Amino acid sequence: MERETGVWRLVFLALPLGVFTLLVIWPLASSFYYSFTNWNGFSAEYDYVGFENFAKLWTDKLFFNAAVNTVIWMVAAILLPTLLGLVLALLIDSRIPGGSVFKSIFYFPICLSAVVVGQIWIWIYQPDWGLLNTAVNAAVGSDLSFAWLAKPGTALGSVIVAWSWQQTGLSMVIYLAGLTSISEDLLEVCEIEGASIWQRIRIVVIPLLTPATVVVVALSVINSLKGFEILYIMTGGGPFNSSDTLAMHMYNESFKKYLMGYGSAISVVLFLVALTIIGIYFRELKKVDEIYG
Amino acid sequence: MLSRRNLLMTAIAVPALMTAGPTLAADGEVTISHYFTGELGLGGLKEIFAEFQDETGIAVKDSPIGHEDFKTGILVRAAGNNLPDVFSYWAGARTQFVIDSDSLRPIDDMWNANGLNDVVAKSVADGATLYDGKRYLVPFGYHYAGMFYNTAVLEEAGITEMPESWGDFLAMCETLKSNGVTPIALGSKNRWPAQFWFDYLILRTAGPDYRAKLMDGSASYDDDEVKKAMAMWKELIDKGYFVDNANADTWTDASDKVARGDAAMTLMGTWITGYWNGIGLEPGGDYDFFEFPQVEAGVPNAVVGPVDGLVISANAANPEDAEKLLNFMISDTDVQAKWAGIQGALSANVNVDDSAYTPVMQHALKAVAGADAFVFNYDLSTPPPVAEVGLSMFARFMDDPSKVDDILAQASEDAEKAFAE
Repeated sequence: MERETGVWRLVFLALPLGVFTLLVIWPLASSFYYSFTNWNGFSAEYDYVGFENFAKLWTDKLFFNAAVNTVIWMVAAILLPTLLGLVLALLIDSRIPGGSVFKSIFYFPICLSAVVVGQIWIWIYQPDWGLLNTAVNAAVGSDLSFAWLAKPGTALGSVIVAWSWQQTGLSMVIYLAGLTSISEDLLEVCEIEGASIWQRIRIVVIPLLTPATVVVVALSVINSLKGFEILYIMTGGGPFNSSDTLAMHMYNESFKKYLMGYGSAISVVLFLVALTIIGIYFRELKKVDEIYG
Repeated sequence: MLSRRNLLMTAIAVPALMTAGPTLAADGEVTISHYFTGELGLGGLKEIFAEFQDETGIAVKDSPIGHEDFKTGILVRAAGNNLPDVFSYWAGARTQFVIDSDSLRPIDDMWNANGLNDVVAKSVADGATLYDGKRYLVPFGYHYAGMFYNTAVLEEAGITEMPESWGDFLAMCETLKSNGVTPIALGSKNRWPAQFWFDYLILRTAGPDYRAKLMDGSASYDDDEVKKAMAMWKELIDKGYFVDNANADTWTDASDKVARGDAAMTLMGTWITGYWNGIGLEPGGDYDFFEFPQVEAGVPNAVVGPVDGLVISANAANPEDAEKLLNFMISDTDVQAKWAGIQGALSANVNVDDSAYTPVMQHALKAVAGADAFVFNYDLSTPPPVAEVGLSMFARFMDDPSKVDDILAQASEDAEKAFAE
């Protein structure tokens, strides 16, 4: 019986492992391999160039620009939805009138695809008749026709706002679930002991929400890595590369310039960065697990 | 009896076998991949392939990919050594690139056997089909870039004569502006729509020979010729002839502005006719175009546009049948007329009857026929890494034309690096 179970395990694992190897391990290994070549994507022939592609990264202004944007994107795309979600959850949990309606409204954007969200915000940012400029002009009587997505200084920030708008609902719902597990008695005791609202939130609620925060941050990290889609739709990395991220830069170098070897080198760097972030995250996660079981 | 284990093994084995089957074409079948997706283009192509099968008994196995995704999709198939027998590609530097990678098969024998020299318009044939002295591509359809305008807007401003010189053009813009209409719409969010301005200004001032040098790296973006063309472009922007925030709009946004009458004209390829016809505008009645005016006397009159080609991959499983398909696609006048109608494209087949075209497309055909040279638009004329540099340069220029000197210096440096790649 025991031996048979072992055989079955293998049988059941063979297919998923095969698929995983074929679709994940193999392409990953290929990227590493091609990053040491000058392959152009089409040709059957290419040369081994050693670390040339990696050396080129240091002189590539667009790579640095994309790396900085990626850091900005990661930090903002993790922090903003998490903080906003927490604030909204606390407000709704404080039993303000119509809380459940607000909950549905705030959650709604997460049901939309990145394409839809991107298009909605393209309209909002439209310089001549978009909601944002129209609202500002109506409020202060100005004659603003600023092209938020077409100016290098605001393009990335504008996409981050759209992204946060969509993602906040998710973290809000997770925090709301976390809040229900905090005992009412505990909060009452604090109140009787004379703790202010702010003290209650800071000293009792937020620490007790740590498991929820772990989930929210985990999801934010994973989702923000997938943020290629909404950036691609809203700015395409533009104007003139000002909102490029590493994923976008890799795509441009590989598929628009046909520099597949160099593109692979960028993807290797991106992979190592992601691996480091996830490694740090799992180590921290383990600590939290040890505390909260 | 079927045991549970057998059932399980079957469940695993069957899909595995199905996916492991050979992807090579069967006998009497040609595989093709192309970027003509969407309701109209694709439906029309399927009918064309069905006609081909009726005529020759050769089946066409079709795997279309959307225009943008095609650029990556075909590379992925090339990487897997799994190119289809036939695929669509953009004539010019991109096709040259694939040929340099030894991925295409020459079609000289087929070309000569079918007398295609007498079928394909010479201006298109020379530039689009010959690479390193051999034929590689049949032009399936092509486009021409001209100044498309809203007829009613021009009439309202009292403009009846289309400009033939640069002075005429500036005067026309001034008239439109004083009538409260922005003369020129441009949607350069995706960068490429701006390239036609650069193409025509360089061609009309420095000429096609200089431009060819710029495209192949033997001239520099720091040259006086380029500076002069950019200065003329800047003058138009400084005078307020272009819409604000061109980088915020796509080419269809800009086309809509002209269609609505918010702007008077836009420099665009003939595919705009397909778009405008689709939203109910009448060719010749609601819109027309004029040729980019002459700037310097004595400079040869060149026209700009892309050519959609069909090519055969070097390791095609079924090259003979693939050649038959290519010949059918270009030689059959019914196929060519039908395709031109569907796509809003021009046919490179000289035997296609003019009646297949709208009045505007007939006008475009005349413009091409009357030109001294037909050249590919910027991003199809220069190697892909350089094209990236130039396209970003145009978008940067549209964002802040006052920095034109810095932008050109930067582009010159970046292009030099890109040519080295």
